[in-house]
Amino acid sequence: MSLPFTRRSFLRGMLSGSAVCIGLPTLDWFLNDNGTAFADGTKLPVRFGTYFWGLGLTDTPTGGTRWVPSKTGRGYEVMPELEPLAAVKEKVSVFSGFRVIGDGRPNLVHWSGHAAILSGIAPAASGRFDAPSLDTRVADAIGTGTRFKVLDIDASMSRLPVSYSTRTGYTFSTPETTPLALYTRLFGAGFQDPNSDNWQPDPSIRLRQSVLSAVKDQRQALMAGVSKADQTKLDQYFTSVREMENQLAIQLQKPDKCESCVPPAAPKELPRSASVDAVRANTKALAKLLAMGLACNQTRVFNFVHTAGTSETYIAGQSKIYHQITHDEPTDAKLGYQPETSKLAGLVMQAFGDFLMELDAIKEGAGTLLDHSLIFAFSDTGYAKIHAIENIPMFLAGGAGGRHKAGQHIHVTGESVTRVSLTAQQLVGAPVGEFGSGSMKTARPISEVVA
Amino acid sequence: LLRKKSRWLSRWVSFAFLCAFAIAATPRARTFEPVTGENQAIKVGVRRITESQYRHTIVDIFGPQIKINARFEPERREDGLLAIGNAQLSLTASGFEQYFALASSIADQVLSEKQRAVSVGCKPANLNDADDSCARQLIESYGERLFRRPLTESEILARLKTAAIGAKQSGDFYAGLKLALTSLLVAPEFLFRVETAEPNPTNPKQYRLDGYTKAARLSFLLWDTAPDRELLDAAKSGAIHTEAGLKQQINRMVTSPRFEDGVRAFFTDMLQFDGLENLVKDPMIYPKFSQSISDSAKEQTLRTIIALLVRDKRDYRDLFTANETFINRPLAAVYRIPFASSSEWAAYTFPQSSGRSGILTQIGFLSLFSHPGTSSPTKRGIKVLEIFMCQPTPDPPANVDFSRVQDSTKGTVRGRLLDHMQTVGCAGCHRLTDPPGLALEHFDGLGQLRTMENGSRIDVNGELNGVKCEGAQGLGKLLHDNPEVPTCLVRKVYAYGVGRKTEDQDERYIAEQTRMFAGSGYRLPDLMAQIALSPEFFKVVFPGGTRPRHSNPATKRAPLQKSGGKFK
Repeated sequence: MSLPFTRRSFLRGMLSGSAVCIGLPTLDWFLNDNGTAFADGTKLPVRFGTYFWGLGLTDTPTGGTRWVPSKTGRGYEVMPELEPLAAVKEKVSVFSGFRVIGDGRPNLVHWSGHAAILSGIAPAASGRFDAPSLDTRVADAIGTGTRFKVLDIDASMSRLPVSYSTRTGYTFSTPETTPLALYTRLFGAGFQDPNSDNWQPDPSIRLRQSVLSAVKDQRQALMAGVSKADQTKLDQYFTSVREMENQLAIQLQKPDKCESCVPPAAPKELPRSASVDAVRANTKALAKLLAMGLACNQTRVFNFVHTAGTSETYIAGQSKIYHQITHDEPTDAKLGYQPETSKLAGLVMQAFGDFLMELDAIKEGAGTLLDHSLIFAFSDTGYAKIHAIENIPMFLAGGAGGRHKAGQHIHVTGESVTRVSLTAQQLVGAPVGEFGSGSMKTARPISEVVA
Repeated sequence: LLRKKSRWLSRWVSFAFLCAFAIAATPRARTFEPVTGENQAIKVGVRRITESQYRHTIVDIFGPQIKINARFEPERREDGLLAIGNAQLSLTASGFEQYFALASSIADQVLSEKQRAVSVGCKPANLNDADDSCARQLIESYGERLFRRPLTESEILARLKTAAIGAKQSGDFYAGLKLALTSLLVAPEFLFRVETAEPNPTNPKQYRLDGYTKAARLSFLLWDTAPDRELLDAAKSGAIHTEAGLKQQINRMVTSPRFEDGVRAFFTDMLQFDGLENLVKDPMIYPKFSQSISDSAKEQTLRTIIALLVRDKRDYRDLFTANETFINRPLAAVYRIPFASSSEWAAYTFPQSSGRSGILTQIGFLSLFSHPGTSSPTKRGIKVLEIFMCQPTPDPPANVDFSRVQDSTKGTVRGRLLDHMQTVGCAGCHRLTDPPGLALEHFDGLGQLRTMENGSRIDVNGELNGVKCEGAQGLGKLLHDNPEVPTCLVRKVYAYGVGRKTEDQDERYIAEQTRMFAGSGYRLPDLMAQIALSPEFFKVVFPGGTRPRHSNPATKRAPLQKSGGKFK
């Protein structure tokens, strides 16, 4: 018996035939018979990552925009602060005009913006989220087949490690902050070269599994009689134990060959400094390792922090930090913007350009690693001088394995940032039909960028 | 009233969110009913142990030769203390991975060929096979220290099984034992402090913390580590529930050399010195700065505190005025004083002419609360108020135009801040936070003495809550004499010990403790002992979802129910 329409025709009709976009999970039905590629022939796997930088980009109330292109759709013009992305422009979509809607909650400076983008709710208090960050949902959907379900990286050289990835809203991930630490995690003990011809399962892995069984055996006794809040904490603990078990189980399987995987040599430690140059160098070195970690199939989901919300980076020799400059520097009446702040924003975008270029440098099949990835990049503010949570700059970079119609500028004034968050999750196949709460709840992805 | 209402509302809203979210976040989690029925113990708190508690515990149990080389999960500060924020924390997957690797490395070291004779009190019948009776000895003995209570039979059996599987698979008894020890070290019962309340035998309608929970509270407050054998014995025998037994333990602990570890841990948290671990400065502006400076600065302030408050038992308030301290060679270079000693640290007293006054004017505080390239009177002022006077400053308003604030290459910071103080929306807070910070302006972003900035003489007139002062020494004197300063310390020691912030109903207690603190001449060891001895320190506070119908009258959070004998 045959269906009245084929799988291919259904996909064609749904994904590109009309403007209607349906928030559906990547069902097996979308895949070809052996699950290695989408039905339209696009290769798996698709990787997903968030990329965060602090202090927004320059778009002043007096009209001095340095990043919002005037043209929408394809062929948008390269604005001054986006200059460093010019080389990969066709792989980057720019989103402008979106905002955080607090529903009466205060604008918690350098916090509400990215918290809302990631969790879908403007949080009640600084330092925590009121819902899990979206990367955890994506990781649950596409990250369980690799050694690391999700990898957190912080290049910012801040005093305290910066991570915005959370399942409980209180506990945030521990990021890798130096190239050597990231190298050790990815390619140190426990790494199995997927292209090695004499692979043998490591017998010590089974022994480590038995360590975890003893812990898990006691779960019920421990959970008895604890409060709801404590139950949440312990649930997160046991989720972490399960992820470790999964990691060990994966290491017992012979890894699939990865053409592009060339394990790197151990990097040198960089000097610890928060100057703009040092943080950019750290970003580039970490991006290079991360890209190879993705190519070697060690993880499919990551979170990358370039600078913190209140970025403490500085230009060497200058006494003020970037964050201070955004507030203190007067707007140049002639230019209509703050020249020093805009220069610093341009440097931040250079680091983002470096980051994307590292992913684009790795060839995979007919394209590059970037073509098989989706990077959701965003900041905490729009115009940092006034802590605006309107017009927060957001980007989707990479082809998402052919699903992202990249290279567009989407401008919608006043709509919720969560529409872009939802789009990002759906583009990589997370089973998320709607996202966000209150006025930011949405079931409408940006259909223009969905192939 | 409105404020109170909105506070309750916001609490309720966040609670509701958390609950909804707990369910949403863990789709596969089973629903666990709270224990029902009377005479059952209930768990009133689950708090992750801190990095420093972890380190101290391992050294206490396994010896100082054990190397702990790991990156710990970030901690979280709430209401000024990590001890409060950490009570909310769990463990992420990446964090668990770290603890797992660390646990294996500790187990390897403890049971290395060289060490195993010392670590294990028995020998296996066969080196190449499992031996339940010898393995049980180790699991029971180390398990009790790590879990801070005796293990249940089922906890022991689970580890015996692990040890046996390991021994059989690898043909090595000790390899199996390592796995069993590793599993104790990654267990939630070790990594989290599980606090338990039980019906009080003298009044079964009331609850009290069980003996082991009390022992752990004492030990983590006074020693920053897990209870030792003697304390566990006092919990087992019930002596800890008697006034005499409790007093005896507290006296023993406060007079032990380990008390210094407890005081160091408390002040590291209160002074927010965890921030010194990754402090960065612009080397072009502060070429003398390095990680060794920031490590030394932390050590300097902690040594000063221990000498003044613990060894010499001086008045707590002297911390703001006393200039006796310790320096090492790297610090001497920053302070621009000669260092002639052949030992690593030497006692040193700053002369009056140095302009310095107590711990506020040491490099630790001054460099931590500054920017990478400048000092920051605002940051310093905020921290003086928050750390020593328990006066938090609200977040800055979002929509503020800072355009008045001008170039930092001209004039002194005072002029630039005056702009803030004249801007509506900023003035409210900056008028409070900046004046104490301005009094410290003779010290740059690294804590080096200076009198000029950009060619202008620095004016160090300051103010603390409306009272005028001049320079750091004037500010130190004001803090010394301010009655809010000792009250704030009492509040912080209590909050630190019980892992929650103080609330309105604690005010009478705080006031009473402050009176006693004053009566003791503001001696810190007396304060910590009197708090540990007070019934409030062991007060049972039922979190949502575990509330029994009969509960202590002292527990205001859970209103009493009149009837019924079951947990709700």
